[in-house]
Amino acid sequence: MKAWLPLNSANTPWQRPDYSRVPFQLYHDPETYKQEQEKIFRGPVWSVLGLEAEIPKPGDYRIAYIGDVPVVFNRDPEGQINAFVNRCAHRGAEIVREPYGNVQDFTCIYHSWCYTHRGDLVGVPFLKGVNGKGGMPAGFDMRDHGLRRLRTATFNGLIFGSFSEHAEPIEQYLGALMVENVGEILGKPIRLLGYQRQRIFANWKMYLENVRDAYHASLLHEFNRTFGLSRLTQTSGGYMDDRHRHAMLFQYKGSDSDDTAQKAYKDGRVQRGDYMTLTDPSLVQSIKENKTGVSTRIISIFPNGVVHQIANCLGLRRIRTRGVAELEIEFVLFGYADDDDAMTAHRVNQANMVGPAGLISMEDGEALELVQRATSADPSGAGVIEMGGTGPLMNLDTRVNEIPVRGFWSYYSELMGIEPAGAQR
Amino acid sequence: MKCAPQAKEQIERLVVDSAMFIDRDELDAWMDCFEEDARYIVLPRENRALGLPVGIIHCENKARIMDRIVCLRHANKFNPHFDRHILSMPRILSVEGGIASVETNFMVVQTTKTGESRLFCVGVYEDRIRLGEPDSKFVERIAVIDSFAVPTLMATPV
Repeated sequence: MKAWLPLNSANTPWQRPDYSRVPFQLYHDPETYKQEQEKIFRGPVWSVLGLEAEIPKPGDYRIAYIGDVPVVFNRDPEGQINAFVNRCAHRGAEIVREPYGNVQDFTCIYHSWCYTHRGDLVGVPFLKGVNGKGGMPAGFDMRDHGLRRLRTATFNGLIFGSFSEHAEPIEQYLGALMVENVGEILGKPIRLLGYQRQRIFANWKMYLENVRDAYHASLLHEFNRTFGLSRLTQTSGGYMDDRHRHAMLFQYKGSDSDDTAQKAYKDGRVQRGDYMTLTDPSLVQSIKENKTGVSTRIISIFPNGVVHQIANCLGLRRIRTRGVAELEIEFVLFGYADDDDAMTAHRVNQANMVGPAGLISMEDGEALELVQRATSADPSGAGVIEMGGTGPLMNLDTRVNEIPVRGFWSYYSELMGIEPAGAQR
Repeated sequence: MKCAPQAKEQIERLVVDSAMFIDRDELDAWMDCFEEDARYIVLPRENRALGLPVGIIHCENKARIMDRIVCLRHANKFNPHFDRHILSMPRILSVEGGIASVETNFMVVQTTKTGESRLFCVGVYEDRIRLGEPDSKFVERIAVIDSFAVPTLMATPV
């Protein structure tokens, strides 16, 4: 495969300044992938690490990933939140080997170097040698050999980490729309309900496109269409922040009728439009618990997070890159601390809709792999993104709309330094 | 534990048949292995360790199991494949009041329609089985899966 070297604005892969053609090579080029790790994940962004509810007690930690890099986020004995790269300052070994836990300190097994929750080096065995022999040179200062710390920020219990001094204050980074909607979903104490993980053998950016693609949700996911959880005939839309890096796809269940929808999809030549019924319809029941009655919100936070509300199924998704052709999604499902048993059971039931066996999400695994496979043999082509219009990036009150996908590419290209002349922002 | 040869035979028949029904794509017969209020849960081992309830698949009764299969047949799209279950001998923990508690290790190998196989899932069935003739039935089947970083997707029950 031809590598684009150097990757820059003079040598941009984009054919059009509005990102309405996506070069397939972006999903396959190893050099691009390498630069993404540096310019996106270690760039001026806030990556989602997790929820404060995942590390409720002093000493708690959990491993998350920013791109390929394993990061330990934790709560220190004083209750403060920290994050560091999971790599010993001595020889580069992984220090933390259990994915989560509660510890007094972090000790590398290789040579027993010991660190605090902040990442400060506090123990080096035989620092002064034995019997006057060996040991570190006189100038060795433990203060110079701490772990690589990340900046951290929290917003309503959601923890972010950044490698960059240039990431904006978190609320400014998120923008008003995300602050309002993530703020509402995480607006009161939560209770963790469990994890689901899915590995998809496709480039990570395809998943970020997928969660910004309002158009596919009722076509690929027939469950959505059948039970009116998401239909193109509903009051719905795809909105973005001012810089178009984050997006929120939303709709109101019940704002169309089954008959109208069925006719519209039939006229649109969508196959398999027959509606089935559930023996137990509680699976698709949406109990109103927000002020507008919005029934679905898929909120993608650049670069690696999603916060979702699908009826009463609430969750955070952490997206981790695993090489140019593999990604992992970790779904963290939660409810509220004040849910009664019936509500908790309802949320656990509705978790059937998401994850690797999710009735409205399993298909994403298949669809992304189809694209990865079909574009790998000859990545010289490009995908077409014109639903909702070309040109300026804007919010639309419809899900017949792929503009937030172009928004993603716009901010991506700015960070990668590959914006074409006259690029839309 | 030791148990009556008849009980052992009943347990083995249900455990083996139910796996074969999935492999043969006879999902109606698979559903018939469950009692009306039986639970069927595919539980990530990490959630078990943390005491968290969410499953990969979580059906609290047979109606919900049937709804899963209806969706699989009529709505869901997934990677075309064959399943093959490989089971250990069932380990019988107890038989009390006509209900056996049984653990059976399993592996599911998925094969594409072009003949390429991969290890899809490994775990343990934690079953509670009501013994009877002609048929024994699951009162509860919890498939605790070690391979909870599920490759691609899980459409067919394991």
